Amino acid sequence: MEEKIIYTLNELRTYALSKKVEAAFFYHEEDSYLMRFANSAISLNTNEHLVRLEITVHDGRKRASYEMITDLNQLEEMKKGLDIAAEMVKHAQPLNYQPSMAQLSETFEDTCSFDEGLAKISNEERLAYFNQAVEGLESEDIKLSGVFSSGTNITAQMNTRTEHYQYFKTSDAQITIVLSHLQLKWEVIAEQSAHQKSDLKPAKLHQELSYLLERYKADEAQQLPLGKYNVVFGPAATAEMLSFMNWIVFSGGSMKRGYSYLSENQLGKKVFNEQFTLVDDPNCLDTFPFKQDFMGIKREPFVIFDKGVFKSFTWYQDDADEFGAKPTGHHVMHKSLVLQAGDKQVSTLEELVKMPHDTDILYIPYIHYMNIVNPSKALVTGSSRFGALLIKKDGSTMVPYNVRLTQSLQDVFGENLVWMSAEQTAYNTSSSYGARNPVAIVVPTFVRVNNLEISHSNSSY
Amino acid sequence: MQQEFLNQIEKLKAKGATYVDTRWYPFEETNMLTMINGNLKNMSSARESGAGIRVLYKGAWGFSASSDLGDLGTLFDKAFDYARVAAERVTFPVRLSEKDAICDTFSSPNRIDPFEVPLQDKVAFLRKMDEALNQAGVMQRMADLTFVRKQIIYLDSEGSQIEKNIIEVFPSIEVMGVDDKGVAQMRKFLPGRTGDTRGWESIDEKLFLENAQRIVSELNQVLKADECPIEDRSVILLPGIMFLQTHETIGHALELDRILGYELAFAGGSFVRLEDFGTLRYGSPKLTARANATVPNSPGSFGFDDDGIPAQDNLLIDKGILVGAITGRQMVEEANARARKQIFNGSSGANRATTFYRVPIERMTNINIDPGTDGSLEDIIANTEKGIVLDGDKSWSIGSNREQFHFSNHIGWLVDDGKVTKVVKNATYKGDTLKFYNSLSAVGDERTWELRYVDNCGKGQPNQIMQLGHGVPVCRFDNVRIGE
Repeated sequence: MEEKIIYTLNELRTYALSKKVEAAFFYHEEDSYLMRFANSAISLNTNEHLVRLEITVHDGRKRASYEMITDLNQLEEMKKGLDIAAEMVKHAQPLNYQPSMAQLSETFEDTCSFDEGLAKISNEERLAYFNQAVEGLESEDIKLSGVFSSGTNITAQMNTRTEHYQYFKTSDAQITIVLSHLQLKWEVIAEQSAHQKSDLKPAKLHQELSYLLERYKADEAQQLPLGKYNVVFGPAATAEMLSFMNWIVFSGGSMKRGYSYLSENQLGKKVFNEQFTLVDDPNCLDTFPFKQDFMGIKREPFVIFDKGVFKSFTWYQDDADEFGAKPTGHHVMHKSLVLQAGDKQVSTLEELVKMPHDTDILYIPYIHYMNIVNPSKALVTGSSRFGALLIKKDGSTMVPYNVRLTQSLQDVFGENLVWMSAEQTAYNTSSSYGARNPVAIVVPTFVRVNNLEISHSNSSY
Repeated sequence: MQQEFLNQIEKLKAKGATYVDTRWYPFEETNMLTMINGNLKNMSSARESGAGIRVLYKGAWGFSASSDLGDLGTLFDKAFDYARVAAERVTFPVRLSEKDAICDTFSSPNRIDPFEVPLQDKVAFLRKMDEALNQAGVMQRMADLTFVRKQIIYLDSEGSQIEKNIIEVFPSIEVMGVDDKGVAQMRKFLPGRTGDTRGWESIDEKLFLENAQRIVSELNQVLKADECPIEDRSVILLPGIMFLQTHETIGHALELDRILGYELAFAGGSFVRLEDFGTLRYGSPKLTARANATVPNSPGSFGFDDDGIPAQDNLLIDKGILVGAITGRQMVEEANARARKQIFNGSSGANRATTFYRVPIERMTNINIDPGTDGSLEDIIANTEKGIVLDGDKSWSIGSNREQFHFSNHIGWLVDDGKVTKVVKNATYKGDTLKFYNSLSAVGDERTWELRYVDNCGKGQPNQIMQLGHGVPVCRFDNVRIGE
């Protein structure tokens, strides 16, 4: 397959050169499988095999692109796509900066995140995984929802400047299992990310769900009083906040457009808690990394925050071109964010509940529908969901209705940050909008933050 | 080609499939142009084609899709095999409500196909907008044009054959500035849908130029404004935020798949229960909401849904009482069976997929609020003792069962003793859905009613983005917390 892809791109390159058109080709192929569960049944079982080709034509400072969903047997159709882009660029308006094209000085292939076993996992194996993960946990009232999303992702690039190309192949799986009470409407969740088949551990999810169910079945949910709480975030919540940080805190383009918490004046200054070290680490396979960016820049571990000190913005190539910044190797479909582990020895929710606490702790595993209220203040809002617990000082627990947090990320990762666990989790933050793009963020499994304001408290689910 | 699809449908019926449909997209094209600060950052086109096959076997769905239609047999077989596996875990076998077999066509009303408009005319429009927005106080200005053209051939095993040809136009402009505290502020303009057509002719340059001046002026007012106070006030929502309030807390809450728990793994559920239909006081008697897919000029009007059901105009909330939902053929059958009574009388024609490689799910059509009898915006302001007029969808965050929400806005105007007193920045409001709608105290008349479009509604797994509309008047709600 790789041979045919490169052959096709080469043919397009030759065609573009023959037409004296400067062009870049970006190939994306996905084989996506999704088994979805709802009301304890398989509500949907799908497969989509899609090939996308994006052709960008450059003419000095002018640029136009044409994208098509196609297949490798449609070379003539692809050539027509190039013709369309070449025609479009004539009508484009020159940019006030010079847009870059990839400098592919050598051919680069990366398939280290690909696992044949995971890529070829069968429908029967997906179903067996779910059956094992929820064995004995469903009832007349407690129903299973969830997804087993897995697939193969191939990207390849070539342009008219050299014969070299880049080729990346990844396998991935994202599993979400939700158990919810039909009448009472509470929900608990367990999730897993995998880049190889041996990562799949349904027994671990069974254990997590069993523990939460025990608590949720025993307690009637209660409305929490508004006010300040000491909170422990689970991996989903922490990863979600880092995803937003990626957008409104350390993106060079956002900063230049005034849509950012940080400015250039804060480079080299302490911004967050000294426990906060955030690295974009393409060596971390759990993040489905790109080891070279799409401009051909080799990617090495890139420190964004070091012990709370802000070290660098990250730049998407077009932003770097526009604002005259030095490219940082971040022209990729996603970064490989890793939040360094702390030293608190706690690996599971059960251990978190059992460990001694100086105060009551509100455990928030997941933040639903987070959005940015004010980017300049890094102010975000969202609601707890999926298995929150109030862990009392005496070791008992109480089930709370969902609550809303409207806080600055500074409040979470600044001086209020108390500890982070030594155990880390790769949390899969992939969405399936548009082209498949598996991405995970590695975070401490538990992050404790004091004095966070609960601004709204539900009286029911 | 069409006959080949029909042959494959017959083949799967012979193998035991109880229902088969295909949505064949001979083409779907998009054309996008974005100008930021005078730079034509994006000038792109896209084209895709392919087919999605949906098969029902022993009460379970299978689906497959591909852009490669060279081997339809394999594509159909795959969908059948996926249904066969899904049938191993069935709790409520899928049944589809009755419908008539329909052979028909639908074309969205257009006078000028935007794909026939020269690119230089589109660029010229953006340039004009860019020049109009290039004024003091504006740090970033953006003008955007997106055009969609698609053909869909729907065929099913019950004899329906429907061809749809749809064109959509999505234009917008926006400006952003930074205030003296370094906080970003913005205003934007997306035109309400007026007129009966939705082609290139629907872009009214004069209207855009007038609104370019307005949003720049309002941005500059916001940049100098005081902070929004934190207190309880009446909120008067203009259509530029009322559409989103309606979308998030009426539209999504009344999608029947959410109510039945089919979205719990991702998007969430609904606080609404089956026993609530016909009895739940959703809002004050001033609230009447409907799902109207027959409005001519809206992406929420599409002729026939992806179950082959014709567009309808159905009440959702009648004078405050919950009476209807957003439904497709599968969910109404399951809901009636679970409730052990007939709540829904057939599908409301709202099952839609965003493209050929996604499955249809319950999606909003045009979820509209009927105009009221409380006059114009000025009348409502004049009758408000302590309020705030809000506009703009800066952010939105909603509870997983749509039971509560938090919105932030681009601009607020404080109202005291029936008069606008001053502009405030960083305005927000929040509330509990039922309490909020039951505090609805004024609904503007037809003069305040605008049809707004949404082009980015996300739902489902695999995720889908959908386009739809909301016709809403100015509405006032009392005792709402603002500024937090």
